[in-house]
Parts: sequence; structure tokens; C-alpha cells
Amino acid sequence: MKLVKFGLGAAAMALIATGANAQGGPTLNTVKERGTLLCTGHDGSYLGFAEVDDKGAWTGLDIDLCRAVATAILGDPAKATVIPISWAQRWPALQSGEVDLVVKASGATLSRDAELGLQFSLSYYLGTTKIMAHKSLGLSSLADADGGTICIPAGTTQQQQIASYTQKLGITLEPVIIEKTEELEQAYFSGRCDLYTQWGPVLAIARAAKGNVDEHDILPDVLALEPEVIVMRSGDDNWIDIANWTLSALWFAEQEGIDSENVDEIKADPPSPEIAKFLGVNPGMGTPLGLSDDWAYNVIKQMGNYAEIFDRNLGEGSPYKMDREMTALWKDGGVLYPYLID
Amino acid sequence: MNTLANSAAVAPPGRVRMLRKRYFPTPLQGVVSVVSAGLLLLISWKLLDWAFLSAVFGAEGSAAECRAAGGACWSVIANRWRIIFFGLYPHAEQWRSALACVAVVAMIVLSCVPSFWRPWRLAAVWIIGTAVYYILMKGGILGLRYVGEEQWGGLALTLFIFVATCLIGFPLSIVLALLRRSELPVISRGTGLLIDAVRSLPLLAILFAFAVVVPFMLPGWMQTGKLYRVVFGAGLFFAAYQAEIIRGGLQGVPRGQEEAAMALGIGYWHRVGKILLPQAMRNALPATINQFVIGFKETSLVIVVGFFEILASGNAAYGTGEWTFAYREVYAFIALIYFVFTYSLSRYGAYLERRMAISSR
Repeated sequence: MKLVKFGLGAAAMALIATGANAQGGPTLNTVKERGTLLCTGHDGSYLGFAEVDDKGAWTGLDIDLCRAVATAILGDPAKATVIPISWAQRWPALQSGEVDLVVKASGATLSRDAELGLQFSLSYYLGTTKIMAHKSLGLSSLADADGGTICIPAGTTQQQQIASYTQKLGITLEPVIIEKTEELEQAYFSGRCDLYTQWGPVLAIARAAKGNVDEHDILPDVLALEPEVIVMRSGDDNWIDIANWTLSALWFAEQEGIDSENVDEIKADPPSPEIAKFLGVNPGMGTPLGLSDDWAYNVIKQMGNYAEIFDRNLGEGSPYKMDREMTALWKDGGVLYPYLID
Repeated sequence: MNTLANSAAVAPPGRVRMLRKRYFPTPLQGVVSVVSAGLLLLISWKLLDWAFLSAVFGAEGSAAECRAAGGACWSVIANRWRIIFFGLYPHAEQWRSALACVAVVAMIVLSCVPSFWRPWRLAAVWIIGTAVYYILMKGGILGLRYVGEEQWGGLALTLFIFVATCLIGFPLSIVLALLRRSELPVISRGTGLLIDAVRSLPLLAILFAFAVVVPFMLPGWMQTGKLYRVVFGAGLFFAAYQAEIIRGGLQGVPRGQEEAAMALGIGYWHRVGKILLPQAMRNALPATINQFVIGFKETSLVIVVGFFEILASGNAAYGTGEWTFAYREVYAFIALIYFVFTYSLSRYGAYLERRMAISSR
């Protein structure tokens, strides 16, 4: 794999270039100089995460998170330039500097971390592999489905996951393996398969888009968990700090009940010293990261907190009406938590 | 069918006999005819019903209305056609993208008109056409807002990739074909090797290499936008195939003509430009038109390196919570656009063949 070697070369160069500059790393300086942040889009649309609205503008959870990073650095979500990128192209594009970060429903894996020379932010979404079944079958879990047919997307990790999971349960399923998502969903909804396994959000979105949510059950079995992360080139510590603190700011605001509506009110009269620092009333929030002190205020004011972002792209404010499930704050039974502001 | 109808008007019994002879010569063949006709009718009826009778038209049609109707949901096109045509281009500036499309189509049409077939006129048409397209799309001067290539998309981008591929590929193919006929073995063999090497690689691999690998190898000052690298790769691929087509055409020109020209002391450029190439192009015309049609359809492959050409735009057009179910309609619409372009190209090819047949008489 030549690409890997090239990638490692580029990563090694980036490593050498990282100086002792406490005031922002090389990527941050490049972005500030350029005046825009280069984000990943999609070659088409990936429902809920990167889609195109009627006016040709990008929307979606991944897009909004990238805009939040752009707002933290440059103070304006419009300063994010979204570059259409295919799945296969995302790592070479990152390594060649065509994009500054990859926010593209990408999981943290060993090979990406250790072989491709990449580094990850905190996980912003926990995607589970799940199974949908026709309600008329009356299944309560996958163990009841012995001998059934299951639609599986070709060439994905779901293929292995379903194989090992059924082995563990001691049941056999007849697989129907199809490459293209539209065909796969057509096969399931037309009744050719009893079951349909897929990455959780795609499954929920397919069910919602079909319009008859009540006719299909998503079984409680969880085959696997994929933590989705923001991916960056290794070697720029400041850059990973910025990604993590942007996410952290979105979660901190949600935890403290600060949203885009009330942020001005709270900034005028901050209830605690942490919040005063968070919103830039007291100094110290931005300088160590190489950002302005009111960067978190800008992000919350213009993009909203994590609940608002999730809601308009995947949750109640979207056509998909998805639950937060594990992608909720710790105090709501989820696994997300902000770092402490001291 | 026309002649059949005409003869029928004159002599009805003849038509009956002809019908019987053609479709019902034996009972078995009669059954096959009836069943086939029935199937054809059924399919046409279903298609007609789906596409028109039970279909929902107009921008007001909602997703729920479409599901209830059971037919095609053309509302998705009415609501999302701008994405299919212009991709991610900023909404307020889409008139520029539309004008740019018109400029490219006008350029293609003009260069198809025989009275423009003088080197200078052709060059002028293409340079002006490309410049108009480029200025309109990119902006940044004449008070037009700057729009980066990452926002180009839809039909406008597909047309650009096609035209730029031909613009690079066609002249290059002539050069390659002539070099391959060179009497210096180093040049002819080297060119042959290059052509065969490019032809032995799939276009996907070439596009991926130019989009992804090349930036790691080129020095900084040679870095260009991804779009231009990919277009160059596609142009090279086009040229390798087209060069062989032209070489085939050149081989069809009798050897004696070139020898006669040499005996008369006509120089190389006149020999090639006035005697060999015009005849070679005529021989190679059907295959050349074929190559252009293939080239147009192959533009859709750039989707793998993340360009928002018309197929990716179509994917984005139905790829939103409201319209995911309506992918058939979007693909049918895109197929129609492809059809309009490729069918015009092949009709134009047929016209050219007729015209050249006249001049050879």
C-alpha cells in the first residue's frame, strides 16, 4: 500500500514541523492564515450527517460540528469550506492537507490510529450495529429469529459482526448480501428479508423515511459499538486540543443549560466563575489554545449547544426523530461528558 | 413502419397479408407474437401509469401525498432540480452556473457547424467558450463573487469535465497517433508503450492516482487544484484510446497517397494536415463519435474522488429525510439528461457520416 507510506511520510513531516509554539500549532496557524477551515463533505448525501438542503447548502451533524470548530477558530460558521470527499478518499485527503480534519461518521480503529498516522478527538457519537425486523414476525430479540433471512450491506464490518453474533447465539440466518443501500432497503421493505442489519442511525433513518415506523421493530440486540470521532493528522497536539475543547464546550453548555437563545443573558450575569470564564467574561479560556477568549461564546451563540445541534440534524427537529440513546450527557444516562474548566 | 403504413393506405388487403406473413406464419409464432405484444402493452401501460397517470407533479406535492398516490413522485424534481443541475453552487449565484452551461452547449454546437471548421475559428470558439465558462463559474473578477471549485457541481460540472477532457484529449490523441507512426524507433516505440500503459489501467485507477497520489509526488509550485489534475488524467485516458482510433484511420489511407505527396516534394505538415488527417478522420469518424459518447458517460466516475457531478448531485437531491424514497424518479430524470446529450451526439455523428459520404462521391 503505497498510500500508507506516503501518508506516513507526510505525518512524519508534520511531526518534525511541530515546534514548541505554545500559541497554536501549525494546523491552527495555517487555518488562521488561510481564513477558512477545510472540512469534509460527502459525494452525495449521508442522511442526517451530511446532506444538501434545497438551496444547495450543506447540513447535518458532521457538517455542524466542523462549522463549530470553524467558529471557535475564526468566529464565523461561514468560514468553514466544505469539500466533497468520498469515503475512500478521506484519509489521503487528510494526509495531503486537502482538508484540515475529517468529521465523516468515522470510527476510531487501531489501524487508523497506529498505521495511518492519524489521531482522534473524543467520541461525539456512539453508533451501534442493530437489527430491524418486520413487526408482524413478533420477534422480541434475535434469538427468536432462527432460520430467518437477513439483509446485510456488502463489504462492511456488519458482515463479520452478524456472523460472530449468530454463532454466539447458536442460531443460523440466511444472509442476503447487497451492495447498494437503496437496493438493500428495497429488499428488506419488500419482504425479501425478515431482518435487516445496519449501522444504527442508518437503520433508524431508513425506518423513519419509509413513513410507517410502527410496522418495524428495531431489536434490542446490539452487535457492536462504533465510537465516531473527529480525525486529524498525528503530531499536532494543539489541533487535537482545539477539536476536543470545541466538543467539550458544546457539552459543557448543554450540561449548564446554556443555549443559543439564553447565552447573551447568561453572559451578562454569569452564575459561576467557570461559566464566566467559559463565555469569555473572565480571561483565560482561549489564550492557552491559541484562540480568542470568547470563542466558546461564539460557538454557542452561532451553532447552539450539542443538544441543539443533535436535535436539528437527527432528533426531534429533523425528519428522523432519533433518540440520543448513548449519545447523551452523563446526567441523562449517556456517555458524553465535558472536560473541567478550571 | 412508414413504408408499411403507406402501402396499407393504397392496398389494405396487402397489409393484412404482410402482417400475417410477418407475425403469424405458424400457430406457434402467432402465439409468441401475441404474448410478446401483450407483454409490451402491459409494460408500457405500467410505465405510463407510473410516470404520468398516478404520478404527483408540482412543487407542492409532499412526500405523504406521493406515497398515497403510488405512482412516480415528480415533486422531488420540482423541489430539488437546482441541486441536480447546479450541485452545491451558492443559491443566489446559480444564474451564473446556468449561463455557464449555456456557454458550453453553445460552444459544442458551434464547433459542430461545418462553417466553423477552420483552425482559427475553432480555436477562437473554444478559447472564448472555455473562458466564459471559467469566469462565470469561478468569479472573483468583474464584480462576480468568488466561488471555489469545491462548490461547482451538477450538470455544470459534468459538462466542464467532458469538455475539458476532450479539449486536452483530442489534440493530444492526434499528436500521439502521429508520434506512433514516427520513423524513429525510440519515439514510435516509446509512444506505443505510453499508449498501451494508459490503456491497460482502468480509468478509476487513473482518476484516483491523479486525485490522491500525485499531490504527494509533485513539488509545491506544480500543485494545482484537484479538479484540474483529475481532468488531465481523464484527458490522458481519452487520448490513449482516441490515438489508436486515429491511427486506425491513418492506416486506412492508401500508402501510395503519402508516397505521391513525398514525390511531389510536399512537406511533412502539409502532407499530414491536408492529405492524411482529413481522410483518416473520415475513416475514424464512427469510432470517434463512439469515443466521445463513452467519454461523456465516463465523467460520472469522478464521483469516487469526491466530485459533485450530476450523479452525485442526484444522490444528494434524494438524500434528505423527506425524499429518500424517491430515488427512482431522480435517476430517471438524470438518465433523461444523459440521453438528451448522448443521443444528440450520436445523431450528429450520423449527420457527419452522411455529409462526408457526399463529399467522397
